[in-house]
Amino acid sequence: MFGKLTWDAIPWTHPIPLVAGIGAFGIVGAVVLFLIFKGYAPYLWREWMTSCDHKRIGVMYVLLAAVMILRGLTDAIMMRSQLAVAYKAPGYLPPDHYDQIFSAHGTIMILFMAMPFVIGLMNIALPLQLGVRDVAFPTLNNVSFWLTASGALLVNLSLLIGEFAKTGWLPYPPLSELTYSPGVGVDYYLWAVQIAGVGTLLSGINFVTTILKLRAPGMTLMRMPMFTWCSLVSVLLIVCAFPIFTATLALLILDRYLGFHFFTNEAGGNMMMFMNLVWAWGHPEVYILVMPAYGIYSEVVQTFSGKPLFGYRSMVIAAMAIGVLALLVWLHHFFTMGAGGDVNAFFGIMTTIIAVPTGVKMFNWLFTMYRGRIVFKTPMMWSLAFLFTFVIGGLTGVMMAVPPVDFMVHNSLFLIAHFHNVIIAGVVFAAFAGYTYWFPKAFGFCLDERWGKAAFWCWLVGFYLAFMPLYVMGLMGATRRMQHYDVAAWYPWMLIAESGIILVWIGIACQITQIVVSFRHKEELRDVTGDPWNARSLEWSTSSPPPVFNFAVLPRVDGRDTYWNAKQRALETHSLGPEPAYKDIEVARNSPTGIVCAFFATFLGFAMIWHIWWLAILSFIGAFATFVAFAWRDREEYRIPAAEVARIDRANRSARLAALAHLGVVQ
Amino acid sequence: MSDGETGVPLYDGDIAPGDEPASGAEIAVGIRGYLIGLGLAVLATIVSFYISGTTLVWQPSIPAALIVLAIAQMGVHIVFFLHITTRPDSMNNVMALTFGVFVVFVLIVGSVWIMFHLNHNMIPMERLMQMQH
Amino acid sequence: MSIATTDFGFVRGAAAVVPFAEHGERSVASKLIIAAFGFWVFLLSDVVMFSAFFATYAVLKDMTAGGPSGKDLFNISTVAIETGCLLASSFSCGMASLGARARADFMYYGGMIATALLGAAFLLLELRDFTTLIAQGAGPSRSAFLSAYFALVGCHGLHVTMGLLFLLTMMAQVYAKGYRADILRRILCFALFWHTLDIIWVGIFTVVYLMGVAR
Repeated sequence: MFGKLTWDAIPWTHPIPLVAGIGAFGIVGAVVLFLIFKGYAPYLWREWMTSCDHKRIGVMYVLLAAVMILRGLTDAIMMRSQLAVAYKAPGYLPPDHYDQIFSAHGTIMILFMAMPFVIGLMNIALPLQLGVRDVAFPTLNNVSFWLTASGALLVNLSLLIGEFAKTGWLPYPPLSELTYSPGVGVDYYLWAVQIAGVGTLLSGINFVTTILKLRAPGMTLMRMPMFTWCSLVSVLLIVCAFPIFTATLALLILDRYLGFHFFTNEAGGNMMMFMNLVWAWGHPEVYILVMPAYGIYSEVVQTFSGKPLFGYRSMVIAAMAIGVLALLVWLHHFFTMGAGGDVNAFFGIMTTIIAVPTGVKMFNWLFTMYRGRIVFKTPMMWSLAFLFTFVIGGLTGVMMAVPPVDFMVHNSLFLIAHFHNVIIAGVVFAAFAGYTYWFPKAFGFCLDERWGKAAFWCWLVGFYLAFMPLYVMGLMGATRRMQHYDVAAWYPWMLIAESGIILVWIGIACQITQIVVSFRHKEELRDVTGDPWNARSLEWSTSSPPPVFNFAVLPRVDGRDTYWNAKQRALETHSLGPEPAYKDIEVARNSPTGIVCAFFATFLGFAMIWHIWWLAILSFIGAFATFVAFAWRDREEYRIPAAEVARIDRANRSARLAALAHLGVVQ
Repeated sequence: MSDGETGVPLYDGDIAPGDEPASGAEIAVGIRGYLIGLGLAVLATIVSFYISGTTLVWQPSIPAALIVLAIAQMGVHIVFFLHITTRPDSMNNVMALTFGVFVVFVLIVGSVWIMFHLNHNMIPMERLMQMQH
Repeated sequence: MSIATTDFGFVRGAAAVVPFAEHGERSVASKLIIAAFGFWVFLLSDVVMFSAFFATYAVLKDMTAGGPSGKDLFNISTVAIETGCLLASSFSCGMASLGARARADFMYYGGMIATALLGAAFLLLELRDFTTLIAQGAGPSRSAFLSAYFALVGCHGLHVTMGLLFLLTMMAQVYAKGYRADILRRILCFALFWHTLDIIWVGIFTVVYLMGVAR
């Protein structure tokens, strides 16, 4: 009746996951109950959960990422603490748990923290930067978010019911096959990631279509902001790469559930094919993460240097080159698997080449800053830290691109240090810069600068303390995924690394404090005009937060810095130009399709994990029925009358006129 | 967002994939296009099936011939059924297709090349099992 | 200069006369183009997914683990009939598309029904093939080759099944709501889907079946 599910699935005898699971779900449950009893439920359902507005969906994605980073960093501090005490000692985490923790850490950080963060920021900013009202498929956008959330829920459910995979964040066979992982752990991973993967792929399709087909009049491709360009490359990579991941995990599911022999030891299976396919996805995945990060840095560096981006054209070419090269380097993740000199040489050279367009981007950022007037606000601090920290990671990457070097450091802590270096300095710092930069746009008030800077310094120093020792230990021979060790030389470095993660947690505490403090002082921090940073791109021409329709009239774009030029004109003429002719606007209606679909998807995943076949079939039918019900609706949009549009827009215009007048007086 | 945006004329030098360039009024012209496509596709199919079974053709060239015929038939489908051509208004769709083909090529050729080399360097299973005992 | 703290901005509305249609000038595309292009991008992603299955088949096709190979198992006349069904269904799908554009009920419904019947015939033949193979011990758990075969061809068959569900839904929608603009967009998407499935089948019958037997 309930498949493999029994009461023993709950880890009664394992205090760590038991307490963690009860704690996590307890907190979430308490928050949900609080919101319901305070009467917020109808508001949240109507304004957020069923919203097809890209701005709302973006905020929900970033919120998901914020919650998931707490789980991921908890895993991190548990691992570092274990290593800090497990010198010639067993430590406090049994290997069984340690394996689940490092697997969950990687899975969550990459797929349920970094991806949602990046997609969330794209959601908030892209349609505004493009000068349009929403993405190409607003309801699909909502579905994508909820499917991602469903995957995150399933991963965290494994804390309390069952176990998680012990195979690392990519479940290599034959360990991940049924013979060697008979439990439900790998299945939790597979179904959570497959469901979230569908959500991500749909997002990719949505944004490709939006950027290529839905731009303000006059916005040719070469007039798009750099964040949009970099995001285009990223979402094209999503469309190319995620289907490979879906197929590969499907093959593993077939092996585990129906006794197929793709990657098994017997009957002709070839486990190396898994590594090949999964990295054919895995490498583009990291570029999917880092490309929008490069875009964020381009925006932030421009704005806080007070200069347009240097070398726009070369930035575009570099972005496209990185995108294409990202598809041609995947073997460098398994140089040591034995493909031989020819194959290794080809991929080694391609990997080294990717450093070139990256270098082009680096120099362009530096040239943008040169002879600019740097404003040291929090987003700029994150960007400056990125510029030199990421280069270290990049250099170690180029070192490992040389196969003989890789043979020495593959799967050592040197590798761990490298990829954390590039992902944290590249993606995470960008995400922090991005959410600080666009927070006023999304919420109407800025974040507190002092706590932002405090968080920054804690994170920066914490990062160096946590990961530079790993480079050293890697060169000394320390391996990854190590639960205990007895090499005296590593012990002091482990302690330094532990201090680093503690400092990072203090940084997180600063970030949480920053949000609380900013909410408390939001009237003083309010962004009145919509352009708190004096920026260049179109999103800053709207109010903060923008109205649901973004622009009362779509802007007509006549160059790269349309908004900036318009501002200069306004300064000279001391006027805002004529009021546009307001018309009715149609906006996508709310839809429960996403959350209902995700509801059924969660049950489908859970049922498949625990082999509860009747529930799986019912859930699948439910998901399909939801889809057909959605297709049957007659009204997709609701209409905002011109008078209302005019009222909203005039409020923003008068705020800007007031600021202009104030400037006129100062002048 | 509605079809007629706030006063801004729509750009119509672009065509939807699968959509036909003509105004859609001419059914006869449409049918003709599909019939030509069907005819060419049937021809390519019949030739493929024949070649694979016959001894008249030089054996080692059969896989190459089959692949050429398959690609030709895919082209027929793309042009006559999907209406994706190199007309200027279809170029976006062609570029997307080209990129897709590039990825498919890299994945299949790359995987076969890599796996062939890996397998070649791999100790044969029987020998590996012997080493276990 | 206090620009950094007191800022401002405005947007020049598209009110007045917009001289348009300069070469390369873009605007918001029509809903039809957006829907169809988005679906096309999805289909290309689907093709990439199929290519992962193709790559797996290419790598594992000789790993028969002492069991039967393609040459032993494949029935080319069945494959020929299946191919004929699918190709004819592509043609009838085209007729249905033309019928929808021209709002011609007979052409639309006739074309869709023909497509459905031909598609169902394809699936029945394939299902019969699969069950026969499994019954004679050549199921997907016999060897890596058979796993790859069943996965690739089975994935295509699953897509055809979903296509049939899509088809039936489109027939029902036209019946219930007529040739509304959004329903026409979906019919275009369905046609894209169906034709792409036939393109994939060309790859399958060439690489799996014809090359499998022509050794």
